[in-house]
Amino acid sequence: MENTSPLPASSGNEPFAPTTVSEDTAFAPRTDLSHLSQHAEAIRRELSKIIVGQQALAELLLTAILADGHVLLEGVPGVAKTLTAKLLARTLSVPFSRLQFTPDLMPSDVLGTAVFLPNKSEFEFRPGPIFASIVLIDEINRAPAKTQSALFEVMEERQITQNGTRYAMADPFVVLATQNPIEQEGTYRLPEAQLDRFLFKLHVGYPTLEEEVTILQGHHAGLGSAALESVQAVLSAETLRELRQQVRRQHVEPHLLDYIARLVGQTRAHKGLYLGASPRASLALLNGAKALAALRGRDFVTPEDVQYLAPHVLRHRILLTPEREMEGQTPDDIVQQIMQQIEVPR
Amino acid sequence: MRFWLRLCFCGLLLLPTGPVAVGQPALRVSNPTPTLPTDRTSRVRLRQPAARQLREFRSQREFQYVEVKSEQSGPSRFWARLWSWLDDFLATKSGQVVWEYGVYSFLVVALVFVVLKLLQVDLTRAFGRAPRRSPLLYDTAAEDIHSLDFNTLLAQAEAAGNYRLAVRLGYLAVLKQLTDHGLIRWQPEKTNHDYLRELTAGSLRPAFQEITRQFEYVWYGEQNDLSAAHYTLARDARLTLQRQIATTRRAA
Repeated sequence: MENTSPLPASSGNEPFAPTTVSEDTAFAPRTDLSHLSQHAEAIRRELSKIIVGQQALAELLLTAILADGHVLLEGVPGVAKTLTAKLLARTLSVPFSRLQFTPDLMPSDVLGTAVFLPNKSEFEFRPGPIFASIVLIDEINRAPAKTQSALFEVMEERQITQNGTRYAMADPFVVLATQNPIEQEGTYRLPEAQLDRFLFKLHVGYPTLEEEVTILQGHHAGLGSAALESVQAVLSAETLRELRQQVRRQHVEPHLLDYIARLVGQTRAHKGLYLGASPRASLALLNGAKALAALRGRDFVTPEDVQYLAPHVLRHRILLTPEREMEGQTPDDIVQQIMQQIEVPR
Repeated sequence: MRFWLRLCFCGLLLLPTGPVAVGQPALRVSNPTPTLPTDRTSRVRLRQPAARQLREFRSQREFQYVEVKSEQSGPSRFWARLWSWLDDFLATKSGQVVWEYGVYSFLVVALVFVVLKLLQVDLTRAFGRAPRRSPLLYDTAAEDIHSLDFNTLLAQAEAAGNYRLAVRLGYLAVLKQLTDHGLIRWQPEKTNHDYLRELTAGSLRPAFQEITRQFEYVWYGEQNDLSAAHYTLARDARLTLQRQIATTRRAA
């Protein structure tokens, strides 16, 4: 067979052909992600004015915002879950509302209600606090299932239907919810259907010793409220929509789609799981990986991105069998096991 | 009138009904058992059943007490014999001793098992090295880098101008070389960055990091239009690294 290639048909140790191509142009993103990187860096900078440490949390929150997903933040009281969510909302110049979920909260308190106007002899819909771009739901698992179900439609379809009329949400629309672990007093377990609507469930842990000392130093110096006021909005709704478009155009190698499907599919076959993840989890993993890759300056997704996000995407979508729970295993353990069973495409 | 009827009724209830009601002790009557004399005079007549009737009875199905042969299969017979032998053995004195100690042993083993389970102790590591996972445990379709002829495959890819594939094969060849030198441990589920973290040889790390970056851009970034000049850059970097690896002392 005749060799038509400009290179010798060998990969041996022969001398290399001289090249004049710059390496920078060869292996660089084909999409200009500098705009996205600048905005991401600006948000990180604003968050770091108040939040000490938690870089991984900030990156994951940004990933969720870019992937157009909702986030559930779980942690014990006092680890700055609400503060982080509030600050993130402050860095975006979009309408923001906050809801404190309580056991006596009614669906109409969240969605809004129709009010009768005697002078017009007709009902008028008064939108509830859910009508904002960033909605912070504090302690979401303190409301019963009836109120939780009010969020099903709005979180998935970005709309609510009242008396046969459809009311669309703003774009962007992101729910940032915080919750205490289920073991805490006065909490309810969220319905599986609702948990599935969250892109990520993020665990907020305790700070390290050094971070805690820095928190104390800042508090002692009286920087609390002043620093809070100094946090600026650095991203508009319009810019966020543009960045999301850019994220949607990220390259995903076909084998990686297969890898994602296998990972999620394995949760349905795992013996230690009573409930596996839905196809919505596959979509969440794909969208999240695209956003994370963009944040890390790449215009393509790698298996590293998928593996990094898999626990955050899957941990709230799977249910362990009672035996595994009694053995002290966690959903994260099972996700790790699953990742060790699937070959990385290469 | 009704009053008198009630009075009479109460009177009837209070009437003595026996020795218990009146509180008198029961009378003991002596009644000796009569003994009859043995009858030695009556004649005993033996009655024989009629032979014809006997034959009739014998011909009836209900009176044919024939032992039915067992229709058990071979394994069933084996198990039946085994249980029978075990039954007999346990009935003996030595069998009872064995049974007693067997039960104690089982209880001790079960207790140890439960304790180990609760403590989450992995006993498989107690007798030597941890079990090594097979490199291709689950996916038979996986590409085994140890069985690929990289020189031939690379030559074919380069000849066909498929530089994206050539970059991939070159990267796999590097992974194989690193594995052969004991610098990394090849596992299909590991990512490139896992290998990077594993690679402790300081001088190789930057070069491996660079070719990993190139591979990811070309392969995951779907650079199907990679030019020959760009490929040459990637190939140069790879060959330099491969020469470095070849001169690195094999890890223990």
